[in-house]
Amino acid sequence: MKKKKNVRNKIDRMLEFPDEIALNVPKVTILKFEQMLIENYKGILEYQDFFIRVKTNIGIINVNGFNLSLEEMTTDDIIVNGKIESIDFESIVDDREE
Amino acid sequence: MYIKILIYFILGYVNITVEGFFIERFINTCISKKIFFWNTKRDKSTVFSANIGVKNFKDVAKIAKSCKCKIKLNNKKGLPFLLNRYRKRKFFALSLIGFIAVIIIISNFIWNIEIVGLEDEEIKSEIIELINHEGVSIGKYKNKIDLQNLINKIRIERDDIAWVGMKIKGTNLIMEFVLADKKPEIIDKEDFCNIIATKDGVISKVEAQNGTPVVKEGDTVKKGDILIKGEIEGKYTENRFVHSDGDVYAKVWYKETEKVYYNQIIANQTGNHERKYSININNFQINLFKTLSKFENYDTIRTIKKLKITSNFYLPVEFVINENYEKQNVSISHSKEEAIEIGTELAKSKLNETIQTESEISNIYIHTNETDEYVEVEVIYEVLEQIGTKEKL
Repeated sequence: MKKKKNVRNKIDRMLEFPDEIALNVPKVTILKFEQMLIENYKGILEYQDFFIRVKTNIGIINVNGFNLSLEEMTTDDIIVNGKIESIDFESIVDDREE
Repeated sequence: MYIKILIYFILGYVNITVEGFFIERFINTCISKKIFFWNTKRDKSTVFSANIGVKNFKDVAKIAKSCKCKIKLNNKKGLPFLLNRYRKRKFFALSLIGFIAVIIIISNFIWNIEIVGLEDEEIKSEIIELINHEGVSIGKYKNKIDLQNLINKIRIERDDIAWVGMKIKGTNLIMEFVLADKKPEIIDKEDFCNIIATKDGVISKVEAQNGTPVVKEGDTVKKGDILIKGEIEGKYTENRFVHSDGDVYAKVWYKETEKVYYNQIIANQTGNHERKYSININNFQINLFKTLSKFENYDTIRTIKKLKITSNFYLPVEFVINENYEKQNVSISHSKEEAIEIGTELAKSKLNETIQTESEISNIYIHTNETDEYVEVEVIYEVLEQIGTKEKL
């Protein structure tokens, strides 16, 4: 399984695919501490107006803040609106975890 | 995003609240089934509210049930529900449709003709008569008017108009005119011509540059008399014709008489006025108040306003305001000297209008003729003027 992945990585690097497409890893964009776009997410783990947990391929994104709300939810990306105080990540080291 | 919401507004949407412990799972399954939420809100840890499309409601209810959540429908919004609410008001809908139809029908006709660039009322009325003859008048169907044809007709009929532009804006037909300057008859230098008098007068100076002067200083000439002949007698040759040229100055008299009565009755406005309104629809007048005035003697000023919705959307309805100003007869008496003064002032102001500015006034004569009732003042201006113009032989 690990070998297969390495082969795919090599091909992707040769063809110069962007990482978020090639490796299916999340891409986070933050606009003025109030809007946050998460691409390539897998699901919502927790949703409160002060705390949001979003699951991705390589770990979990925790967002703390006030009046948070989820908007424009599609299968690939999601927007967090509201006053964002802090963001932290819980990365999953083991590949088999997904 | 906004387009999506607009589409859902047209199709109808509902506001729901979901209550339960597994709201995250509910949201995840909704997203995986590609159900679109917006305006999401998380009130408490167990309550979630959002807007969803009407079509998706059944699926959402199923998902909520499988997630062990309670679902509640708060309110229905969007166009289908809005129309449903007004379904019983048939008369309202009918009148709305009727109103729109009337406006559309009205906007297909011409209700105002605007003439730009003409100040002379006479030419204006002639033009209006001309276009009425061509079938274009107030109340005409817009699509049947052939503007190019109309422009051509006017340009053929009238020589004094240099350019005509027409356009239809809303219910307003705008005609723009540029008047042609009357061109003077130009006589070629090669042509033979006489110089003739344009006015009656007494010659004071003749400066002939070419041709034979017929008149001399002190001669009285009438309008049309030849002043300088375009013919030269040769000593050795026969008479030959020339292009005569020269300036002829003459004393010309302008006369104006004014009668001033010693006792005059003048109507003075007292300052009281009243307003009467009426509505005019296609020459059918509706008076909003009694038309009889409470004054005995009065002047009436009538102003007509055309109703319009926008600057170019005229309606076939006119609003008429009649303003009555009360007046009072006051008798004024003048002494003899005052009457003469008033008479000369009046006559002078009239004369100043007729005389061109460049001509110089050499003498002013004032004659008075007194009777018992009035003074007749005669003012004569003596003006030194150039009176010659060229005329072809």
